[in-house]
Amino acid sequence: MKLKLSMIAVTAGLLMMGLPIAAHHSFAAEYDSSKKLELKGVVTKFEWTNPHAHFYMDVTDANGKVANWNLELASPNMMQRNGWTRHSLKEGDHVEVVAAPAKDNTTTASATTILKSDGTKLTFMAAPPPDVK
Amino acid sequence: MRKQFITCYVLAVTLGAVSLLVAQGPAPGQAAPKGKGKGGPATPAGPTPRLPDGTVDLNGLWMGGGSNSSDITKGLKPGSEVVMLPGGEALMKTRRSQDDPEANCLPTGVPRGAPYPWRMVQYPTHRAATHIFILFEGNIHSFRQIFMNGKHPEDPDPTWYGHSTGNWDGDTLVVDTVGYNDKFWFDYLGHPHTEKLHTIERYTRTDLGNMTIDVTIDDPGAYTKPFTTTGRARLQPANYELLEYICQENNIDLVHVNAPAQLP
Repeated sequence: MKLKLSMIAVTAGLLMMGLPIAAHHSFAAEYDSSKKLELKGVVTKFEWTNPHAHFYMDVTDANGKVANWNLELASPNMMQRNGWTRHSLKEGDHVEVVAAPAKDNTTTASATTILKSDGTKLTFMAAPPPDVK
Repeated sequence: MRKQFITCYVLAVTLGAVSLLVAQGPAPGQAAPKGKGKGGPATPAGPTPRLPDGTVDLNGLWMGGGSNSSDITKGLKPGSEVVMLPGGEALMKTRRSQDDPEANCLPTGVPRGAPYPWRMVQYPTHRAATHIFILFEGNIHSFRQIFMNGKHPEDPDPTWYGHSTGNWDGDTLVVDTVGYNDKFWFDYLGHPHTEKLHTIERYTRTDLGNMTIDVTIDDPGAYTKPFTTTGRARLQPANYELLEYICQENNIDLVHVNAPAQLP
């Protein structure tokens, strides 16, 4: 499967994405909300851990180079209250992600939305119940 | 209704409107409450409950707090203002986001709150309480203990939550605390304090689902005069419980943070 990476910068004024406040550290200090990152790839690991959950995904660029991205989510306690479970993502899932990149230019980002290949749409902290996609 | 809620939630994230009032749903096994409100679960309605001894019953799982955790200078009582001494101002300017104790899984102190629920427990309940405990889900699993009608020690060791005594002023619980350390920050911006900090919190359960919390902050080591913050906590539905939150488990994000202390 041909996977691609695209990164689209948008002006800060448009605020296409916001960064979450419900966190124990400043997301604004870590991520650049003025940039919108679109990633398409395969989940390699899902960490259902405190203080924040993370998932990792392999993304292949147009030249065939694979990068492993670290996507930060909210805290499992609050995600759980909003529909996420430790089974919401798993290794091997094909996903399309919209995220805000880290300011340190590493392959790290704050995930805003995650679209799974079965049509399920997850967000930073909310997941639909099983009967809603 | 659930679908509608989720749609609204996604929009809120997109527009950057997620706040401390972020919508909550039930944990597994916890049924979704009816009448879910715009900013979270429906707040239980009814009159202020009382214990057998006549005091207000403050027991329950609450969300919210007595100050603005992003910037303590917001949400002040009318007439109050925050004026820092030069030393406090200079210290604040040096603070870096990655050094925020809360970000490093240390306690928030008082009055800063974590964006997670907390449970208030009066003990005992069949007669006048001798102790009131506050159990925090986050920022770390920690607790405060309030000694009802107690006295402060003469020279308390400086601690994250200090030494708290409690008294009733009518239907308002008044918590007087001294003996703080100077390590925690009042907010994400890094407003500082010293070991001279003395706080007076006033908890008033105005009805079943709501509590107003006013906090007077007196720290002659960092501020020219006392100031009072005000905030509100909402009772969470009866089927909500504290969940585990062990912050130290996988706190891997701070290596990517290198910035002045700033809003979340």
